[in-house]
Amino acid sequence: MTPFSGMSRRQWLALAAAGAVTPPASGLFGRIAHATAASRRRRCILLWMSGGPSQIDTFDMKPGHANGGPFRPIATTVAGLRFSQHLPKLSRQAKHLAVLRSMATKEGDHQRATFKMRTGYLPQGPIHYPTLGSLFSKELSDGTSPLPDFVSVAPYRFLSPAAFGPGFLGPEFAPLIVGDTNPVAMGPGGVVDESRALRVRNLQQPEGIGTARVDARLKLLGQFEADFGAERPDVPVRSHRTAYRQAVKMMRSESVTAFDLDDEPAAIRDAYGRNGFGQGCLLARRLVERGVPFVEVSLNGADAQMQLGWDTHQNNFDTVKRLCSTLDSGWATLLEDLGSRGLLESTLVIWMGEFGRTPKINPNRGRDHFPNAWSTVLAGGGVRGGQAVGRTAADGTEVADRPITTGDLLATVCGALGIDAQKQNVSNVGRPIRLVDPRATVVEGVLG
Amino acid sequence: MLRSATVLLLLATTSCVARGDEVVELATEIDGLIRRRLAAENVTAAPVADDAEFLRRVFLDLGGRIPPSTRVRRFLADRDPDKRRKVVDELLDSSLYVVHFSNVWRKALLPETQADPQTRVLVPAFEAWLRQKLTDDTSYSEMVREIVTVPLAASRNPREIPGQADRPSPLAFYQAKQIKPENLAASTARTFLGIRIECAQCHDHPFDNWKQNEFWSFAAFFAGMERQGRGGFLAAIREVADRRKLKIPGTETSVGPVFLDGSRPLPTQTRGARQLLADWMITAENSYFAKAAVNRLWSQMFGIGLVDPPDDFTADNPPSHPKLLDLLASEFASHNFDVRHILRSIVASDAYQRTSRQTDPSQQKPRLFSRMAVKGLSPEQIFDSLAQATGYVPAAVGRTSTGPGALDSVRSEFVDLFGDDSSRPTQQRTTILQALALMNGGLVAEATSLDRSRTLTAVVEFPALGTGDRVEALFLAALGRRPGAKRLAALVAYVDAGGVTKDPAAALADVFWALLNSSEFLLNH
Repeated sequence: MTPFSGMSRRQWLALAAAGAVTPPASGLFGRIAHATAASRRRRCILLWMSGGPSQIDTFDMKPGHANGGPFRPIATTVAGLRFSQHLPKLSRQAKHLAVLRSMATKEGDHQRATFKMRTGYLPQGPIHYPTLGSLFSKELSDGTSPLPDFVSVAPYRFLSPAAFGPGFLGPEFAPLIVGDTNPVAMGPGGVVDESRALRVRNLQQPEGIGTARVDARLKLLGQFEADFGAERPDVPVRSHRTAYRQAVKMMRSESVTAFDLDDEPAAIRDAYGRNGFGQGCLLARRLVERGVPFVEVSLNGADAQMQLGWDTHQNNFDTVKRLCSTLDSGWATLLEDLGSRGLLESTLVIWMGEFGRTPKINPNRGRDHFPNAWSTVLAGGGVRGGQAVGRTAADGTEVADRPITTGDLLATVCGALGIDAQKQNVSNVGRPIRLVDPRATVVEGVLG
Repeated sequence: MLRSATVLLLLATTSCVARGDEVVELATEIDGLIRRRLAAENVTAAPVADDAEFLRRVFLDLGGRIPPSTRVRRFLADRDPDKRRKVVDELLDSSLYVVHFSNVWRKALLPETQADPQTRVLVPAFEAWLRQKLTDDTSYSEMVREIVTVPLAASRNPREIPGQADRPSPLAFYQAKQIKPENLAASTARTFLGIRIECAQCHDHPFDNWKQNEFWSFAAFFAGMERQGRGGFLAAIREVADRRKLKIPGTETSVGPVFLDGSRPLPTQTRGARQLLADWMITAENSYFAKAAVNRLWSQMFGIGLVDPPDDFTADNPPSHPKLLDLLASEFASHNFDVRHILRSIVASDAYQRTSRQTDPSQQKPRLFSRMAVKGLSPEQIFDSLAQATGYVPAAVGRTSTGPGALDSVRSEFVDLFGDDSSRPTQQRTTILQALALMNGGLVAEATSLDRSRTLTAVVEFPALGTGDRVEALFLAALGRRPGAKRLAALVAYVDAGGVTKDPAAALADVFWALLNSSEFLLNH
């Protein structure tokens, strides 16, 4: 038997688990929680805002205060809940949104904050903490999808690459990454075509080589891998095996059509926004529809640049306005589309960056890093929408009610996804690590 | 027991000193320090790699690609006891080294070009400049001086695009940092001194001694930089030579230049601020400069730095082998910052030459260097190795196609796809997209096509070869080694039966396909 044919995913996982990542039994309760999760089949979409978005210019406005800036609040479809004027489409989806206005997270450096928000932990010596997508897709997967369980669209990994990888869970839980190179792909006639950047290339077997011959080749490859890998337990060797297994599974499945955005009506594609983020949101919907449990879409810049787009130390208002336009179409259409397909109840959508921005406007019309009091948003599956949770002071500089830590947020996310937040994985140093910091508590009133 | 080991060590050292060979001497000292730690932790070191494993490794590490099969055959047949040393000398004198290390240095000095595709236009001129410096055997300290003090007036004409290979220049270091004093300060400290001061940009550093004031005082060495008009990375740059004060954003405080050790340039020093900064950085007394550099070289060769991550020298992140780091740094400084001397000595050590096989259960901790770690290859290394193995010749002929690093659209597309995920080489992961590209992509399809592949056609059509010889030739081309007897027998049987299509030539193509897709081919080990 070769690694690439005839072996079930279960067998593969068993093999992988014989290596470094055997999940420990987490007791009866853990097993029940896991069973519940599987029966509820929850999925998660993370909208990641690279650079740290400004809360005061989006979801926690301070009209009338010097810190408020020039943007006006507008009414939403939920009485009393107001968003920025630059989020008009989203304001019509307000009943799905729980705005957490009292994030208090301490880390004000991109690298550390990104790591903390995306793994739940601070970088600590030799422990390789996994990113949320790896952690949660592992829990949410039922092992039947021919597509990878974790797809990441356009991640900007440069400053904190470890915050985007599977860490000690190993290569089996690494994301399929699309859209991170060639952000401005050219279609025929030199027209910019965002969906080309999101397409998975090289899915077809080489011309003239039939499936039987591909199988024969894979069998040879399996033998070479067995020879070489036997005495080399290194990550690059294991990951090679995993990537090939997943690639073969994917190229032989019908579900890969998820990546052909051209299948969608033009009106839908327009509604999401003809830009990398909008089309990424559309792709996310198509993927969760086909059973992919975790998809993340990064918004790195209004024009699909790869950068910390929300890091608005200068010229905050022009930049945030442009980013909001992209965000508004992509996110609002995603919620509407998921809703109309009956997927919103089972799909949690998270909106967050690594921190917020200073309430005080600096001399460059910018806002700087601010972890003390900022906002994240949960929407959809498992969440009681149409509310703001927590409160900041009138000037926005501190939390006035219900401070929420990174752990609290993630414990709440676990609750919405039906995952046992206290489940343990064995880390690369042999120590068991819980999904979420055990000191964290679920934010009250958020879960529906 | 310990005492006898020490005596042996002393004997070994003495005999080498007697030969008066600095490279062997340094390699022996490296091994002494590595072994002492292994003994203290009760770890059994893996044996030295065989000739084939060694040759492939040094070719990839120093030359950026696998060895040609003719070179492998010659090396394996060579009875000269000094042949490893000789092939290293040969590589370090070759254009392969110049091209590969230009690429290595470019990624270290312009990490932006890995992250942001828009900055890639800066690569050709910068790599061309690096190739010039490496060809001229410029010392590392002089290279750094030229980067830090590059004249900025040259690019005054905004229509001039300073990104072309025919205008070699280190200006890209400034362009990639967007000419911002804070970016330049952070990158200079991190790249050349291994110190991360950028956290102090906005607030006092929570762990280290860097204060916001110190950060901006260091940034004040670049206070004169000005970008002229629009044009993004390629905008013209101007320098106000006598401007030395920088305002800390969001405050009313202005600061003048202060070195990271707290000293200040004397008021009588009338040279430009950047000249003074370079003078201070590259003195032999500034131990950070040499340490950061040798640590980078060590990390380049082993996949793991003595300080790791390699650009994070802090009290929280001590070196695994402090004495070794000091030793390499002082050797580097006393040899006029000669990179090749350090590389030659590292490569001559047993620590570097150990096999990558795990031969004992005690070989668990990669930072003890008990066996060679398996490292991922850079996209350029994979492409150039594929080209080497398959006899690929670039079809697209670019304007500057004559020199090394010439434009080749197939290569640049491949390099884009394989990107760098900026994770450490020992943690590098193959992605699904890469697996698909290698299984189904045009390059490997060509290489395994009976009509179009040079290597395969030669192997299939060469008369009077037995099946075993043909299989062996494919192994030498792809893996740089001969197949084991058992595997060879199985493959000969497979080829003779003709595989799925009952055609021995097609079956050979299948074997070649599997070799090119194997982790043994795609990784450095």
